[in-house]
Amino acid sequence: MMAQRPSLAKGVRLRASGESAILLVPEGALTLNSTAAAALELADGTRTLDDIARALVDRFEVAPGRARQDVEELFSRLAERQLVDL
Amino acid sequence: MNEPHPLSLLCELTYRCNLQCPYCYNPTDLDRYRDELGTAQWISVLAQANSLGVLQAHFSGGEPTLRPDLPELVAAASRAGLYTNLITQGTFLDDTALDALVAAGLAHIQVSIQAPHAALGDAIAGARVHDDKFAVLRRVGSRDVALTLNCVLHRRNLDCIEDVITLAERHGIRRLELANVQFYGWAYRNRLALMPTRDQVDRASAIVEAARRRLRGQMEIVYVLPDYFEDFPKPCMNGWGRTFMTVTPNGYVLPCPAAAAIRTLQFENVRDRTLEEIWHRSGSFQAYRGTHWMPEPCKSCERRELDWGGCRCQAYLVAGDAGVTDPACMLSADHGRMKAIREAASPDIAFEPRRINAPPSVRA
Repeated sequence: MMAQRPSLAKGVRLRASGESAILLVPEGALTLNSTAAAALELADGTRTLDDIARALVDRFEVAPGRARQDVEELFSRLAERQLVDL
Repeated sequence: MNEPHPLSLLCELTYRCNLQCPYCYNPTDLDRYRDELGTAQWISVLAQANSLGVLQAHFSGGEPTLRPDLPELVAAASRAGLYTNLITQGTFLDDTALDALVAAGLAHIQVSIQAPHAALGDAIAGARVHDDKFAVLRRVGSRDVALTLNCVLHRRNLDCIEDVITLAERHGIRRLELANVQFYGWAYRNRLALMPTRDQVDRASAIVEAARRRLRGQMEIVYVLPDYFEDFPKPCMNGWGRTFMTVTPNGYVLPCPAAAAIRTLQFENVRDRTLEEIWHRSGSFQAYRGTHWMPEPCKSCERRELDWGGCRCQAYLVAGDAGVTDPACMLSADHGRMKAIREAASPDIAFEPRRINAPPSVRA
């Protein structure tokens, strides 16, 4: 899974909100924590999930294994709700 | 107390529509809304909403694509950073109209069909429009905008729910909204013709559950149960004046799209007051905000901050008082009235098509 290059699905918009961000989706909005916001900012269809996890390790104090697990969980959850394309 | 701020703005641009769906939630006295806000007034409303913290602007009606300035309004909302959603029956969405809307930054379009088959769909819409909708779905699907297919369900089409799901699959729909009719406006007027039976509702719910399991990850199915068949009310609008406001075609600001039916409240207009004043200080928004207004059984109920007393419009329409517990609640003294309406419904009652200049409704 970590080689997939995610991007936001059609009609999904990321909007900055103070330190964090809000994911605006059809008929709803999800408040993101700062790690999820950073991960989604990087989801532009060119970076792999691995790239995104590595970027999070550099930016936040988080272990590589943990970052990979978080990224995988976040994107598979959003993909199931049709909010990102993998 | 932490003052709520609105997240969603519903812009009802016009109540004009080329269809006559009997389940429309628009008010039955449509001719009172002909004096529509102009482009500059709507742009000002959108800017005011953005300053108030609104995140989403929904453009609806009537049929909002009848307004030639729709792309301009979508562009104004997008520029302000608002998420933009168009709610349409789609009959005017040709390539030119769609390109203009997508270029304006439109994020999401909800296109409605009336039934999965042309004969029934056209009979409900009161116009020959069903077959053209598939070209619309393809056009929207091929552009950079999210698409939800919507079908309002009621006695006349609930038994076709499986065909609606099949149709959605065939057209590659990723988000399907199967919305049991809510009984406001025209739908309330037509309640005895449109109310489904308990059997219909149970069969439909089972079909939706099976389809959800089968289509997981491929199609999201939003399915809302009808209030008349539930034991507890829904948190209508997330609570009165908590996250949502509607602006009607002629500028009145309502806490709920059906609230104009409540004749005991005085609503304010964006032509006279700012959205901020109306949201924070108007009598209409304060009337049922929070829990202070609640009578029993809501007042001492542990669900009071889950459902906020349910729907004020339903309390007014069914129980005759907007300030009592939603009669959808089994604890309401008026709960029996919901049952009475259910039992008075009949397949022999014809529905009345939505139209402007209709005679006034007779209260049950």
